Amino acid sequence: MIPAGLKWLEMEFQGRIIRVPALKSQGRLWFHFRGETHVVELNQGSRRAADGRAKSHPGVTQAPMPGKVTRVAVKAGDSVSKGQVLVVMEAMKMEYTLAADVDGKVQDVHAREGQQVMLGEVLVKLAAATMSTGES
Amino acid sequence: MARPRRLEKIAIANRGEVAVRIIRACQELGIETVLLHSSADKGTLAFRLADEAVCIGEPPSPVSYLNISANIQGALAAGADAIHPGFGFLSENAEFAEAVADAGLVFIGPTPANIRLFGDKISAKAHVEKSGGPIIPGYQGEDQDVGHLTKECARIGYPVICKAAAGGGGRGLKVIRDSHEAADLIRSAQREGQNAFGSSRVFLEKYFDRAKHIEVQIFGDVSGRVVALGERECSVQRRHQKIIEEALSPSLDEDLRAQVSFSARDLAERAGYRGAGTVEFLLQDGQFYFMEMNTRLQVEHPVTEMIMGVDLVKAQILTAMGQALPWPREFQARGHALECRLYAEDPFQGGIPSTGRLLATEWPHGPGRRFDVGFDPGDEITSYYDPMIAKVIVWDETRVRAIQKMKRVLAETIVFGVRTNIPLLQEILSHDEFVSGQMTTRFFETHFSKGLSAPEYSASEREWIQALSSRLADAGPAGIHAAADGPLPEANPWAHSWSSP
Repeated sequence: MIPAGLKWLEMEFQGRIIRVPALKSQGRLWFHFRGETHVVELNQGSRRAADGRAKSHPGVTQAPMPGKVTRVAVKAGDSVSKGQVLVVMEAMKMEYTLAADVDGKVQDVHAREGQQVMLGEVLVKLAAATMSTGES
Repeated sequence: MARPRRLEKIAIANRGEVAVRIIRACQELGIETVLLHSSADKGTLAFRLADEAVCIGEPPSPVSYLNISANIQGALAAGADAIHPGFGFLSENAEFAEAVADAGLVFIGPTPANIRLFGDKISAKAHVEKSGGPIIPGYQGEDQDVGHLTKECARIGYPVICKAAAGGGGRGLKVIRDSHEAADLIRSAQREGQNAFGSSRVFLEKYFDRAKHIEVQIFGDVSGRVVALGERECSVQRRHQKIIEEALSPSLDEDLRAQVSFSARDLAERAGYRGAGTVEFLLQDGQFYFMEMNTRLQVEHPVTEMIMGVDLVKAQILTAMGQALPWPREFQARGHALECRLYAEDPFQGGIPSTGRLLATEWPHGPGRRFDVGFDPGDEITSYYDPMIAKVIVWDETRVRAIQKMKRVLAETIVFGVRTNIPLLQEILSHDEFVSGQMTTRFFETHFSKGLSAPEYSASEREWIQALSSRLADAGPAGIHAAADGPLPEANPWAHSWSSP
């Protein structure tokens, strides 16, 4: 289906009439203002959308985009250090390397080589060596 | 020498922006078109523009766009008499070019021998060396054992670049900075080469850390004459994928320009080259080194078209038909052209791909502005293929004005539905090193490798944006809902204007 296209919303703003191209879709507001495109999650009210991307939890490696797992470099029980390669993914014909964000032990490996994964899918879980309570 | 042969119907073995570009060139020449597409691209802009379309396979490229027999079967089924491969996919595959000819079809591109010679970077280097051209120190041997390759890296001296022998377009390319990371990166390049091109063979060469990427557009016509159409500079690259290109290069004087043009034309002429091709060089400390020859149309061909007043796609088609080109003997560049590649990615998340449905686009047309667009609202940007959705090209009298124009155009360009790299492009266009023309291939890595941090707004700007957001968020359903969400809030305005009585 072809979307209705760009709509220009006319509104009075600070005493002037301005026209702002805007669109709402799937819980998001897109608008263009002074040369920049802004995306707003309507339900959260945050200015820059979280994009459905799950917040990062230390030790939990999630797919940063949809794509294919091309290599799983660790197995459950392995000890890993921060920066060590866990999983290699391919999306849009480029390789992306996902590395451990903490020192620790591999708890679960959910990723399989050749598997297509969705955005945010958990690939590897680490049990951190020392629990750090990151800032909120 | 190609015999004159009228082409009535051309099959396009490609997708997105370049498929659209070729379809339009064919239409202007009065030639029918058939799009050979994967099931993921059904209904996209190129699909809608082509006179006919044949689905040749499932979305993954190995079973569609890289499948030689599926493409040829599709072209034959539609009654096409030629195939244009575009760029990427099968465009530099000699076997494909041969199979096309064997099927009685015309391959719009160089001869299989041309592709074979330059397509394999090892034989290409040998050709350049034999012709007395400038080559880069490296290793192109048969021994592909990772241990052996690691030793060769040490011999060449770090940094070393590892390339897939059959590669192109930034895939299967890794820069190795020291011996610790050599084995891992070589394996990664081999895997990418295997996945993208079906060959894991790699070669190594010295990596230049302050070089510029300069390439010369050449074209071999039916008479066997090869002309050079000036150079392009493509130093702004991320992971060896070009982002911004321009013509001419801001850093060549007349002398260097003549040198590099001669070198490019000479090595193409010695190979009996036919059609469009690009000779890529590295320029460092006033010295040129041959990198590779791309035996196809290049993504950035529009900047050359803008300053030289030519149509390279039509030239390819006419040459395949055995026709002479209405070109001058020598080309004189006019003004300056810039191209920005619009990628579907989130610049504030390190450039990770942003997939989804395009909801709305606005391309701010005007003099000296060109938009080579691959997708329209309603089209899906998938993770199966390259993230490029469009190219924005501008022309102006000087480089400074072209940069000013590009910034303005990008500010007016609107893409809703997927994130784009426009904020990143704007940062690059404003960067002193880019503006001064001093940028090298390290430019991006040096200044932008971390991506962009969230934009900083002043308190008053924040207030504006916040207020606007809430005003727009409150706008009722009659306002701004996309059609994809459900019933159309308003009928298509054209439906009113053009409804029959």
